[in-house]
Amino acid sequence: MSSRIEILNDGGFRSDGRKQYELRDITIDLSQQGTADGSAMITHGLTQVLVTVFGPREAKMRSQTLHDRAVLNVEMSVAPFSTGDRRKRSRADRRILELSAMIASTFEPVVQTTLYPRSQIDIYIHVIQQDGSLLPACINATTLALITAGVPLHDFVCAVTGGVHSTSPLLDLTTLEENDVPHMTVAVMPRTRKVTLVTMETRLHVERFRELFELACEAGQTIHKEMKAAVKERTVALVGAIDAGSKPGVVDERDRDVFMGESI
Amino acid sequence: MAAVLLSKSERAYIQSSLKATPPLRADGRGLLDFRTVLLETGVAPLANGSARLNIGKMAREGGGGTEIVAAAKLEVEDVESGDGVDGGRVACSVTCSPAAYPHLSSNALDELQHDLSVILQQTIGHPSLHPRNLTIIPRKKSWLLNLDAVVLADAGNVVDALFMAARAALWDAKVPRTRAVQYRAPEALKSAKNDVPGAMDVDEGTSGFDTRDMARTAADFELPDYWDEGETLDGREKWPVCVTLNLLTPRHFLDATPAEEASVPQRLHLMFSFVPSAPPTLQAMRLLGPEELDLKDLKESIAFGEQYAKELFTALETKLREEDNRRNIKARDRFALMR
Repeated sequence: MSSRIEILNDGGFRSDGRKQYELRDITIDLSQQGTADGSAMITHGLTQVLVTVFGPREAKMRSQTLHDRAVLNVEMSVAPFSTGDRRKRSRADRRILELSAMIASTFEPVVQTTLYPRSQIDIYIHVIQQDGSLLPACINATTLALITAGVPLHDFVCAVTGGVHSTSPLLDLTTLEENDVPHMTVAVMPRTRKVTLVTMETRLHVERFRELFELACEAGQTIHKEMKAAVKERTVALVGAIDAGSKPGVVDERDRDVFMGESI
Repeated sequence: MAAVLLSKSERAYIQSSLKATPPLRADGRGLLDFRTVLLETGVAPLANGSARLNIGKMAREGGGGTEIVAAAKLEVEDVESGDGVDGGRVACSVTCSPAAYPHLSSNALDELQHDLSVILQQTIGHPSLHPRNLTIIPRKKSWLLNLDAVVLADAGNVVDALFMAARAALWDAKVPRTRAVQYRAPEALKSAKNDVPGAMDVDEGTSGFDTRDMARTAADFELPDYWDEGETLDGREKWPVCVTLNLLTPRHFLDATPAEEASVPQRLHLMFSFVPSAPPTLQAMRLLGPEELDLKDLKESIAFGEQYAKELFTALETKLREEDNRRNIKARDRFALMR
């Protein structure tokens, strides 16, 4: 299948003006959502995913718990307006179940589930907008949400999609490119350099695989830097807030509009 | 609506503090005060109109509050095949995130979603509010207006938030301009054919380009290329706002938190539509709760509700016009400069 839109032009630019290995803009918002223990919103280009984490907590159904470790329960919902043509997917949609199973199996070896026997960790994923690289965005947001919830992890999980256009590899595909070129998603643990997920729904020549795989692993390291910076920023803000509360002399000056007397 | 677990003593405590003089609320608000409402339109680039609304976000933490994303999306429907209705139709749906209701099972969540969808559909989809510009080609093609709302977090007062978000998304919605396309035979050919009936029996064949015998009505439509995304929905001032009166006789209060919602015996949802230069209309009303209400009290509550709804409407209208200005008028000016 080929479209009229040039995936990669002679100047080495892609349809949205990026270079071959260029990733899209990533914005991370780790602010609290409702009563959730941890949450993260990732805006990756035009793909936007919100993940909230509850737990570890007692499971609603006791029968589903395991005696020696915690169970990861991933539920995903896709907003009907997230795609070009409106389509309402129910919670039992095959595609959604498959994606959530994939995310659960990605995180099972990463989360230290043995620390919480007989409990459950709920991961709720909302897809608000999608423009390619949906699975990587979900995985990255889940990592960050688990971290903000304080769930012990062995390492970050950083995911990215890669594709091959004739012989040139591309990273971080949009919907347009995903429809056109063979692609795969790779999730890596950047510190231990392990891989927790490699998935592909299209066919790729075996000789191209190695190159693409190595590139995707390298891109995972770059995304890790971005995610680490966001976590660090939030932690610094939290530690600052603790300090301001504990020391009597220091007053938190951020957007205070009412100044009480000098007694503080 | 969400059954928050609340002990009897907690409930009694909340009730007695609401009944005290002066009344007290946990967050220090007065009975008729709303929490901060934040609104942004145009949040979903793939929808025709969208809005994100938050009630009660905490300024310091950057989180919390009831959060709703609503989006209006248009779809073409074929009237002749029986899918669509002539003049277009409006379909509303509400999805609740399990994260907003962590204590509910998935079945209970489905029921809640359905309840909210029905309230929204019956009010917004009412014929008296139907926009007139949803027709593309009369009796052939029409727009289906899908309004989808997602409740991302519930910190009380979901119905009011839902209607505000719906109003904002519908206000923001743009119907793409369409131009009807019709097949028409050249006049000369037609007259020649009519003047000499049966003079010469020419085998015309069945060329695909021969459109002379086709009906001369609009057959299809095209989308003209223009700088904006289309015109706004007709009668967008009419979309209703909802106020929820939490009744704790003889008092009532607005914008309840989940704990307050769980401790009042009755709630009254009132949906008002304010059309400029016409008296306000009560579009819908729902009375929830196990107790009954006197007719006299009900009339009084509606009168109060109208007053609060008017205030809410005015505030929302101001914000929507501001957003309009930010997103549309400035964009147009920029476009004019570029040319």
